[in-house]
Amino acid sequence: MTSHTGSIEAPAAADWVTLDDLQTDPFPVYARLRAEHPVAWVPAVNRYLVTSFDACHTIELDAETYSANEAGSLMKRSMGHSMLRKDDPEHARDRASYGSSLRPKAIKETWQAIFQANAEKYLADVLAEGPGADLIRLFAAPYAADNLRAVMGFDNASAQDMQRWSQTMINGTGNYADDPEIWALSEQSSAEVDVVIDEMLPYFRQHPNSSILSGLANMPDALGIDAIRANMKMTIGGGLNEPRDVLGVAIWALLQQPDQLAQVMNDPTLTPTVFDEAIRWIAPIGMYPRQATREVELGGVLLPAGARLGVVIGSANRDESEFDNAAEFDINRPRKPHLAFGGGAHYCAGAWVAKAQVAQVALPMLLDKLPGLRFDPDHEARITGWVFRGLLDLPVIWNA
Amino acid sequence: MATIIYLNANGETQTVQQDKPVSVMRAAIENGIDGIVGECGGQAMCATCHVYVDDGYLDRLPPISDDEAEMLDCTAADRDDARSRLGCQLLVGSPENDLDEIVVNLPATQV
Repeated sequence: MTSHTGSIEAPAAADWVTLDDLQTDPFPVYARLRAEHPVAWVPAVNRYLVTSFDACHTIELDAETYSANEAGSLMKRSMGHSMLRKDDPEHARDRASYGSSLRPKAIKETWQAIFQANAEKYLADVLAEGPGADLIRLFAAPYAADNLRAVMGFDNASAQDMQRWSQTMINGTGNYADDPEIWALSEQSSAEVDVVIDEMLPYFRQHPNSSILSGLANMPDALGIDAIRANMKMTIGGGLNEPRDVLGVAIWALLQQPDQLAQVMNDPTLTPTVFDEAIRWIAPIGMYPRQATREVELGGVLLPAGARLGVVIGSANRDESEFDNAAEFDINRPRKPHLAFGGGAHYCAGAWVAKAQVAQVALPMLLDKLPGLRFDPDHEARITGWVFRGLLDLPVIWNA
Repeated sequence: MATIIYLNANGETQTVQQDKPVSVMRAAIENGIDGIVGECGGQAMCATCHVYVDDGYLDRLPPISDDEAEMLDCTAADRDDARSRLGCQLLVGSPENDLDEIVVNLPATQV
């Protein structure tokens, strides 16, 4: 026993937290947790939730104490053991296998033009539907799916396949209720993705391109097929829902703030700032798991070895001790680092791809081609989630 | 022994000294030096550990890799063609190079 065990308290239990409240609007829950117990045992989610900026940041900087390789991970069951649930050095080998596919040079030389073409394709669908169109169903979701298809090298899959696989496997990752139907759908998607990979790997050995799968097919020291499959499934989840959700949230936020919308309309170079503030304000991945490898003090309380943690970056990004008026969406706030992309070895591999497709291509195009963009007064947009938070739909009108 | 001297945008100087080899980024993070973020933990992926190396040390630096070069085009503060580097790529105090001491200027912003 360490000498400080006696003086540092065990974490308090926040038994008032409910899954329904988190799902509907987690931010009041986070605010109370930060104020009362920024590291708390939360029975409803069977984890310690870490909600302050400082404590979340501490975890990001100390991968030895806070392991990504969580025992009993539902993500491992749903998608296999991907790099997201590995620690270095195993993680580093998987991560390096993605090569330069997601880096700025590949975006500039290859992906940017594809993102542009995809945006034009789905903008045409929005315009055909006319005012009242749902920007999530008609634009954000299929656009992110088609972009991801190209970047991953899933040439033999459709944007619809990508969306179904992403959602069903993510549902598996969150299947704490152990619903057999959710597992069945997740397993079916997982098997279908395996078929895609098995078909494309030999193809890319003959016809290499800039995609991730092509890079994996042509590595001199290839990863094992299990790691390739798991990493691809993780990338389907993170590469589709997250850019879809940040695009939706960015527009949803601007439509609530007419002054800021007007400011961006007058100065389209602000779209990267809009992107960055949108992910600070509502981090698309609001919580990710870690597991303590030893007894450790965090945020003034003592966590036992093996403690399963939820690192709530969606809350850290709204910590008033780090950001003034943290609950406000404000593109004019002083620029500061936030935690939406994660930090350290697991820093989002798709960060540059997300910025390019959302901030460089989709946002400027939508604001330009849908003049007078505003909420549809007859249909309210709906937002939901806490582990993953995004718009269910975003019905809009404009001056057609 | 690694010695790293950070000059921040306000003209203040902070010095880190330690026995083990350490990167300019990692030493800043571990010692609470403001002005270096290092979001990606040293993978040349985030461009938030940008530094301007003092002229006296430029000839002792490792070459700029392709990954580092493309990140240096993505920094929040302007790139200086001669002096801009990523702190995560500058290992100080290692027997494998000739860099036991370095002086770097921190840009006004990393994000």
